[in-house]
Amino acid sequence: MQKTKLQFKIQNFYFLVIVFSFAFFVFNFTEAEAAKLTLGSQIQEIAPGQQFQIDLLLDTENEEINAIEGKILFPEDLLELKEIRDGNSAINFWIEQPRLEKDGIIVFSGITPGGLYGEKELLFSTILQTKAEGNGTIEIRDVRALLNDGQGTSAKTTISNFQFSISKEVPGFEFQVPGFKDTDPPEEFKPEIAQNPEIFDGKWFLVFATQDKGSGIDYYEVQEKREYEIKSFDLKMVYPDPKSSWVRAESPYLLRDQELKSYISVKTVDKSGNERIVTLAPQNPISWHENYLIWLIIILVTIIIIITGAIGLYIRKKILWKGKIN
Amino acid sequence: MTSESFFKKIPPLILFIIFCLLITDYIFAANTQINIKIVGVCGNGVVESGEQCDAGGSNGACPATCSASCTTNSCGGGGGGGGGGGAPPPSVETKVIFEGRAYPKSAVTLLKDAQIAATTIAGTDANFQISISGLSGGNYIFSLYSEDREGWRSSLLTFPVSVTAGATTKVSGIFIAPTIAVDKSEVKRGDNIAIFGQSVPNSEITISVNSDEEFFNKIKADVGGVYLYNFDTSPLTIEQHFTKSKAALNGEISTFSKTISFLVGTKNVAAALPTKAPVKGDLNNDGRVNLVDFSIAAYWYKRPLSATFKPIEVERLNGDGKIDLVDFSIMAYYWTG
Repeated sequence: MQKTKLQFKIQNFYFLVIVFSFAFFVFNFTEAEAAKLTLGSQIQEIAPGQQFQIDLLLDTENEEINAIEGKILFPEDLLELKEIRDGNSAINFWIEQPRLEKDGIIVFSGITPGGLYGEKELLFSTILQTKAEGNGTIEIRDVRALLNDGQGTSAKTTISNFQFSISKEVPGFEFQVPGFKDTDPPEEFKPEIAQNPEIFDGKWFLVFATQDKGSGIDYYEVQEKREYEIKSFDLKMVYPDPKSSWVRAESPYLLRDQELKSYISVKTVDKSGNERIVTLAPQNPISWHENYLIWLIIILVTIIIIITGAIGLYIRKKILWKGKIN
Repeated sequence: MTSESFFKKIPPLILFIIFCLLITDYIFAANTQINIKIVGVCGNGVVESGEQCDAGGSNGACPATCSASCTTNSCGGGGGGGGGGGAPPPSVETKVIFEGRAYPKSAVTLLKDAQIAATTIAGTDANFQISISGLSGGNYIFSLYSEDREGWRSSLLTFPVSVTAGATTKVSGIFIAPTIAVDKSEVKRGDNIAIFGQSVPNSEITISVNSDEEFFNKIKADVGGVYLYNFDTSPLTIEQHFTKSKAALNGEISTFSKTISFLVGTKNVAAALPTKAPVKGDLNNDGRVNLVDFSIAAYWYKRPLSATFKPIEVERLNGDGKIDLVDFSIMAYYWTG
């Protein structure tokens, strides 16, 4: 009888081991499907007036994540946002580039075609400066990460906020802004001219995007300039156009020259001031007779010929007249 | 054997471990092994793979014998004189070489941060090599895809690479997933459904058919990389099922192909073959999903859609009448660059 009881206890024990093991495994297996967003920094205790960097990192937990959005909230009475850096980001295209939406709230959303897979994928970094003493938390909110499955299925997400303490007792240190040695221009890129009836009333527009692996892209500028090129002499004659200056631009950019007769240059400047300019040749190059300068030259040459001829005739007449007198 | 004796003979912990291993094998199999290593640093004075020479700080233009990119200079004879002045420091090239397998004679496209950076044609053995230079040091997201002999596109194989400035980084072991198609969109239960596509010649193809129970079947691709498996649908229930395939050769294994669906029902209906154009995401109908489509979607992001754009959103995105993150995710999946 006692033996039977013992066997029953052993069986129960085994059963419990199986149940707990299974539950543990299933729990872990489920966790593995959750993308984890972490706010990471090298320091947690900071002196007042000190700058420090917080990185937003994604652990995809064995899943492929191709789209992510969310918010970062920081206590504005304790911290001031100095800069957002997305150089070296694992996000290829920002739908909403990380920006301060309103006081203490940074919003972001972006995609990586093909999906991200990794444990410490950097999304972007923020550089903050402490304002006053106190304890606080930088929080991640409203996160949505989508699986690379062609349907936009939401992945489970977990977050890890960042807790900090600002105290005068903490020794200060000289904060070095990341990418301060960035001397490389932004990455090469190829702007594209497109037209679609669904945007800009079917007018021609320009799309462009690149990255800067150091400090990140600061801004883009576009210039549309009509030029007449005499290829055999490697000569470019600029069409007189006062509007052909550089203008700040975002992609998609509605082109001013809808006839596509201009050379279109896109300048991208990183946060360290390095720049790259890419120029697209006009799709409909202007012909020589459309260039006012050509006509100006022709008119000038014609005037010179007429004047020279007139002078010649005058001199000739004078010589002939002198001859007749003599 | 009673259940009592069964528990005695096989401790539950072992059962648990076996169970875990069965499932974790599947998880790990979902990811191919790509090798990334720095094979050469031009300018370090050591002749490494991919370099013809390396004289360290003496690399440069003639009269130096070794160029700044570690190739032998052809300085020629004659001339003379000149001289003086210090040689400028050699500018070393940052380069990444990609090696792997696609399909025989197929076009392979390399995307750098989601934009087309290079293309090449694989050999008859499906092996390919692509290199790109002019990069900065930093983290890049590279993607590769290929098109088989029918023009069907593989799924996008994406991986991050940390590129070291002034070094050559070699990424090997790339194995592009097979293409896949089925001959029926609906198959009468008990009839066969043909699952076919292309991969590396003579590779072992594993075909997964997902039901309540997942069926794995293996078949060898022919010398042209083509495979065809007739799957008996008798064990499948009458409902929608999914199939995908992966390839293995010489210890290297691809990721899974795209997943395609078919219905097990009461009749046979021929399936339309995969289209060359992306199924979704192509908003301007040019056969590609790229920055232009992204820009069109970005234009409508958080805006009420126009009457003319609504049907496009329904047909090519998720059809919920608005542009949000889900639509961009769909676009990112079908991305071609």
